[in-house]
Amino acid sequence: MNKNLQCFLVFVVGLAVFHYAIFPIFTPKEVGWILNRYVYYLLFIAYLIITHLVLRLKPSIAMMALFVMVLGYYFYQSILFPPIPWTLFITYMVMWSIGTFLYVSQDAETFREFRKPIVKTIVGEYKFAQIVVMIAMPILVGFATYKSIYPDYQEPVELRTVHPAPPATTKVHGKTYPLESTNNPFRIDEQDNYKDSFPFLDAEKHEYMKYVTEGGTIFFQNCHYCHGDQLNGLGMFSHVFNPTPANFIDPGTIAMLQESFLFWRVAKGGPGLPNESTPWSSSMPPWEEHLKTDEIWKVILFEYWYTGWHPRTFGTEGSVAGSEGEE
Amino acid sequence: MIMNNNYIKRLIFSFLAVALIAVPSAVFAAVPDAVKKDLLEKGKKVYFKRCVWCHGIEGGGDGPSADRLFTRPRNFIQGTFKIRTTDSGELPMEADLITTVKNGLQGSAMPAWGEFLPEDEIIAVVNFIKTLVQDRDFDDIEDEEVFVQDFGTNPWGTKGPYHLGIPQVDIDAGKEIFTKNKCFECHGGEGRGDGNPTMKDDWGFPIVAADWQQCWNFRGARRDPFDPFHIVRTISTGLNGTPMPNFKDQITVEDRWKIAAFVNSLCPRKKIDRLTNKPIPDFLIQSIYTEGKVSPKIDDPSWQSPDTDDRIDAPTDETILENPKRHYIAMAGQITRGKRNFDPKTDNLWVTTRWSAEEQAVYYLVEYHLRFLSDDPEYPDSVAIQWPAKLQDLYGAEKPYFILGDSKKPIDLWKANFMPKDYSATAAPKPEGYQLDISVEEFVGYGFDALSAKESEGKVEIVDSIYKQGRVKIMFKRSLVTEGEFDVQIPTEQFIPVAFMQWAGRNKEKDEVMAISTWYYTILKPALPDSLYYMPPIMAAIFVCFQGWLVWMTKRTRQMYDEGKVRRDEIPK
Repeated sequence: MNKNLQCFLVFVVGLAVFHYAIFPIFTPKEVGWILNRYVYYLLFIAYLIITHLVLRLKPSIAMMALFVMVLGYYFYQSILFPPIPWTLFITYMVMWSIGTFLYVSQDAETFREFRKPIVKTIVGEYKFAQIVVMIAMPILVGFATYKSIYPDYQEPVELRTVHPAPPATTKVHGKTYPLESTNNPFRIDEQDNYKDSFPFLDAEKHEYMKYVTEGGTIFFQNCHYCHGDQLNGLGMFSHVFNPTPANFIDPGTIAMLQESFLFWRVAKGGPGLPNESTPWSSSMPPWEEHLKTDEIWKVILFEYWYTGWHPRTFGTEGSVAGSEGEE
Repeated sequence: MIMNNNYIKRLIFSFLAVALIAVPSAVFAAVPDAVKKDLLEKGKKVYFKRCVWCHGIEGGGDGPSADRLFTRPRNFIQGTFKIRTTDSGELPMEADLITTVKNGLQGSAMPAWGEFLPEDEIIAVVNFIKTLVQDRDFDDIEDEEVFVQDFGTNPWGTKGPYHLGIPQVDIDAGKEIFTKNKCFECHGGEGRGDGNPTMKDDWGFPIVAADWQQCWNFRGARRDPFDPFHIVRTISTGLNGTPMPNFKDQITVEDRWKIAAFVNSLCPRKKIDRLTNKPIPDFLIQSIYTEGKVSPKIDDPSWQSPDTDDRIDAPTDETILENPKRHYIAMAGQITRGKRNFDPKTDNLWVTTRWSAEEQAVYYLVEYHLRFLSDDPEYPDSVAIQWPAKLQDLYGAEKPYFILGDSKKPIDLWKANFMPKDYSATAAPKPEGYQLDISVEEFVGYGFDALSAKESEGKVEIVDSIYKQGRVKIMFKRSLVTEGEFDVQIPTEQFIPVAFMQWAGRNKEKDEVMAISTWYYTILKPALPDSLYYMPPIMAAIFVCFQGWLVWMTKRTRQMYDEGKVRRDEIPK
């Protein structure tokens, strides 16, 4: 019993020290090879094994089962990253429990040893434990019942397609554009040639930078309220809207889209979305109401220049002049 | 030779600065940090990529976006910078500019660049901006001596993010100092910035005083809005270019911290989104079931609710814990359709709601801060609640278009128009508030350009309203079920889409020129079921019986082992 208490202390104190003192060291802001949360977890296990060997501790099988359960819980709760949703957590813990049970019941000997403290508690050989368990369990059951009956409402989750399938053609200001083969008329040169050029400063030197400057001007008169001065979707009004405005810095937005897709989205805005993309709550204006066709193309040119992304291009078939030099 | 002189003087000042930093709580003289010439080329490139759009080619605060921004971007030419550690009217230290660029200016369009640009680019661009200053000279150490202010230290040692636990006596003392120094003349009696409608900044553009009850919009709050330090700094240094003076001579440092405690105590502790620096909206507006009738009086105790976010563990008055929550609704200008409003006067609304089964009615109390109301009957102030008119026809998450519906899915709009009685924006506000001349209109909307008054008789009532200390409070009431074809029929225990709109008459807002929220949900929560009281004991009793059975079974099995009827670990045949 005394040995068991020692084991227990080694485990609990060790976990507390590791979690509060050592864990923060292993979760730096930048991900490292060695200072890694999983390395930390392995270190903790190593610590347990080594202390048990050094102190010649032999915990009972029930204690071992408890350790294994707690280690599993700790791993899924705190170590695993990114954190998992609670449904998945429960699934994992059920599996982990089954594994622990298999471990204790691997042969009759260990299983009997495992059962021993439980049986002793039930029949009252551990009188104190019996009283605590027999009183605590019904209270817990009553409390759980209360929790499950108490009416609690969570905001409904709504799923939404962020990049819906575009239509084959779109009609803007009386002209029909086939999305499959439309290119930005202002993409007159390879974008990378202007990486180190600057709007306003180089606008007179290069025609390309003139278009970028014009596009930026339109962007900062119309779009930055939502999409942000940094084009990261965090403009001054962005927190108001749901869905939140697109973040163009993110590799999952304009970086993986064709310019003609953007043209369609910009021109038709929220109301032009199909139902799976919740057109009723998108605050994106149908920009054809506010901007000219050329202005829309220039804004798109600016967005790619500013973020440094390249638009996705069509295959060689659909490719039209202007995409020369692009990958 | 002059260079040499400058160099020596700088050196002396640096020594002095170092010596004085070692002795805290002392104002020390210094010279502004010289422009680092070697960084200018790089700074210019950063400026012309990132900053020029708002601050303009010559730094005149006149970039392409400027005319559609309120507050306008800063004009650098005069060298007036708001957020400093130096005395009023003086140039800032380089570190001040760096922190401003890094943290942005909350409540304005200036974003936090610290997470976007590397440190060296920020330092470079700050040095470039110094060269845009024409009227002053960062290199002129003869005339540009600066006095770095002493801010003391937080006497209560409160911790972020919420800085709770400042003793009430200090807050009360701060309030007295606030009254004595007449801060209310601009900031209003309860700090909602509703004191003076005629203020102008140094460039003649209209400007308003900060709303202390929305500290997340404090410029220079450095992404840590509840820290009283920022208030102490602003009181000590003033905000250059604005009517905000410094009070360093009138108010001692200790007292400045007490004012800060008072100002800080006015700001409701809301959970702040780290990305947007704004409170997280409460997307589900929960209407509480009320036994008997709902009180139609705003002042009734049943309508008093804590300002604090229920996600924050802050001390609140126990008597109002059971009351409905005040839900935070974020608002923005309507910049999507038709004539756009780039300059909304309201940043958010607060909504509290109750319903009664006895009355078969629902009450929505809508509150918002508005510094000044309209006195022009052609442009009254208005606030509206928007519902889907045909809730029963919507399938799944489907809703009408959030800006006044669409051609297929109409909306039902409850709009309250009001004018305050005996009100003049320039007169000292009445402490007891203003009664409102209020009327309610009901509309059906098939789009922002297809809004028409309902033909059926209006069923929405305004049961109480007031405008007091820069805050509008309006209580709407309607029966759950009505006759009108386009009236929303309000079910209980169901998520109902709801949105809010607000028009500031003084800003000449009308029709689609308004502030708007996105769709929220509201739900009429049922009364607590009776089973809540009898089911838990029943389940516990059942479990006790189960435990008894388990003990009995275990004991019997043991006895069977002992008597040799069964052998241990034997698989039964």
